[in-house]
Amino acid sequence: MNRRTFWGFTLPSVGVMLVLMVFPLVTTLWFSLHRLKIEDIKDGGATWIGFDNYRELLGDEQFWAALRFTLVFVAVTVPLHMIIGLGVSLLLDKVTKGRAIYMAALLLPFIVTPVVGTVIYKDLFERGGLLFWLYEVITDTPFAVTAGNVKWLIIIQSVWHVMPFSMITFFAGLQTLPASRIEAAAIDGASYWRNLWHVVLPHLRVLLLFVALISIMDAYRVYDSVFVFAGDRFTEAHTLQVYNVEQVLDPNIGRLGKGYAIAVLNIVGIFVVLIPFLYKSYKDQIAERL
Amino acid sequence: MRFFKIFSRHTTLMILVVWSILPFAWAVQSSIKFTRDVAQREPVLWGYETTSSAYNKFWLDDDEINMYSVMWFIVAFVVAAAVIGLVGRWISRGGSTGVKQAVGTVILAITSIALVRVLLIWLRERDQFSLWESEGGLATTLGVVATIVFGILVPILFIVFSFIERESGWPYFSTVAVVLGIGLWWFPRVFEVEDNYWFFVNSIIVTVLTMLISISIGVLAGYALARYSGISGAVILIIALAFRALPRTAFVLPYYFAAQKLGILDTRLVIVMALVAVNQPFTIWMFRTFFMDVPKEMEEAAMMDGATRLEAFRKVIVPIMWPGIIATSLFTLLLAYNEYLFVRVLAPTNWTLPVAIVSLTAGESSRTLTEAAAASVSITLPIIIVIILFQKHLVKGLGAGAVKG
Repeated sequence: MNRRTFWGFTLPSVGVMLVLMVFPLVTTLWFSLHRLKIEDIKDGGATWIGFDNYRELLGDEQFWAALRFTLVFVAVTVPLHMIIGLGVSLLLDKVTKGRAIYMAALLLPFIVTPVVGTVIYKDLFERGGLLFWLYEVITDTPFAVTAGNVKWLIIIQSVWHVMPFSMITFFAGLQTLPASRIEAAAIDGASYWRNLWHVVLPHLRVLLLFVALISIMDAYRVYDSVFVFAGDRFTEAHTLQVYNVEQVLDPNIGRLGKGYAIAVLNIVGIFVVLIPFLYKSYKDQIAERL
Repeated sequence: MRFFKIFSRHTTLMILVVWSILPFAWAVQSSIKFTRDVAQREPVLWGYETTSSAYNKFWLDDDEINMYSVMWFIVAFVVAAAVIGLVGRWISRGGSTGVKQAVGTVILAITSIALVRVLLIWLRERDQFSLWESEGGLATTLGVVATIVFGILVPILFIVFSFIERESGWPYFSTVAVVLGIGLWWFPRVFEVEDNYWFFVNSIIVTVLTMLISISIGVLAGYALARYSGISGAVILIIALAFRALPRTAFVLPYYFAAQKLGILDTRLVIVMALVAVNQPFTIWMFRTFFMDVPKEMEEAAMMDGATRLEAFRKVIVPIMWPGIIATSLFTLLLAYNEYLFVRVLAPTNWTLPVAIVSLTAGESSRTLTEAAAASVSITLPIIIVIILFQKHLVKGLGAGAVKG
């Protein structure tokens, strides 16, 4: 394929990305250096204030709290759902009867609209919900969502939501594992766990990395479930994204400039993690072309 | 010992299944419980009612109506869609392609719209908007019953067949879409609907437009990126990957700013544009992965015969790419239908369904547990039906995207 046809084919897509992704990023960077309120957008009332937004953020206790919870959220949910997903995919691989039904049922949390998933999950813990009732029967005290446990509820809900993704991915990977390798290991008398450690996991290495990366990206930018769960009631359980949007949309605050500054810090944060990986993919791409 | 192993595996899986579907199952059963006030909510495990008043409250602005009449309306339209789709398939049978199918589809669509218009005018003249609520109309009732009786066998067979022969069954999908579209258009003229109905319509419009635009520009770029060996291809791919990682807020705030400036805030257009943009990186990567599996020789043979690159692409590559296109479309559909943040920021009043349900449950609104459950079930049901029909493609797509990383 020559250069001209290539650009002809990619132009619509690249054009969309240039106009709707590169350009917004540039404006984000530019207006993060301005004081800009929502109500001033129409008459263009942005005043240059240099790095004041950033300085203010670094002194904002709520910002640090949001950052801490986001990091905890990533650090807990990503390994947890990957371990559960791996376990389930190994089980599914062994089971032949009813596999399709199990798969369909286990896939459900992944398909259900995230906010709806959170609402119905939350209702289990509210008066009239099944788990509320169970808790009351067992401990004789009514369950209450508090600032203490809301973070854990968010984390468990998130694991419930993303687990099917890692499960399906690992399952697809297990299907490509040649049976001869497992048989060879079995003939050598390797136990199940040794086999898992020395044959299966190395085979899944690339996939584990892939899922970890995607999940880190997605967990870092979690918004829907946290917003529905914490809302205005538990501001201490806000993640960076929720904090960011609230700084802009909350009618009492409405500071677009500050919101942009948080977004810039967010982008910097995720890129620190991603740059080695992006570099490696770039090398792979180049190697593929030589 | 062996039996014990199998038994324990199944038990573990079943526990996991329960964990997965528990919230949804609970929502389904609480959506048909007696409606109670927030303050009086009690953990009762019984007390169901059969009039589904919670659904009524979410969708309709008329407390008197029985939800069964709504159900009849839906059934009638699904049956009509199935019958017309069957006729469409019958017309386009025998390997006819392209123009003939398109013409057949258009003719069918026009005919069915005309039929519905005539029916509507007839109803209006009889001064009887609500067909299903009428006390007299024996003939109407008989007509409906006959349609359903004749319809029940036909659509079941029809759905089964058309999904088996999916690749050859495309005209059917467009006609069904047209008929269901008429149903959506007619519904608020028969029943008095709540705003949520219009949010549902918004959801559908946004989802379909996002899918069409995103897939059609993504498939071209994905194909070119799989075939071109220049460095710029690699650069585009890596930049797209970086965009895939960025948080949504990095885009939604500039969009909000620009939409406010241009005065297009609160329109469906701006939501579709935003969704297409954030979906593009994922789409081109996915398509590239699929196209890498298609051997180059396929289109080269066609081009030797004098076809241009675009013709070869359309006539040779696209037909064998349907599984990949369906898989990518499904992910786009999930993204667009489920989107919350963009709609919340970019559409202060002109919502889609996810925003509607959050506003229903948030704050001190007087919602009941049953109403929220009914809303949840009705929002997720369409998407669950679509995914069940195409589950194979979704699983394959997740696997394909992953295995090559």
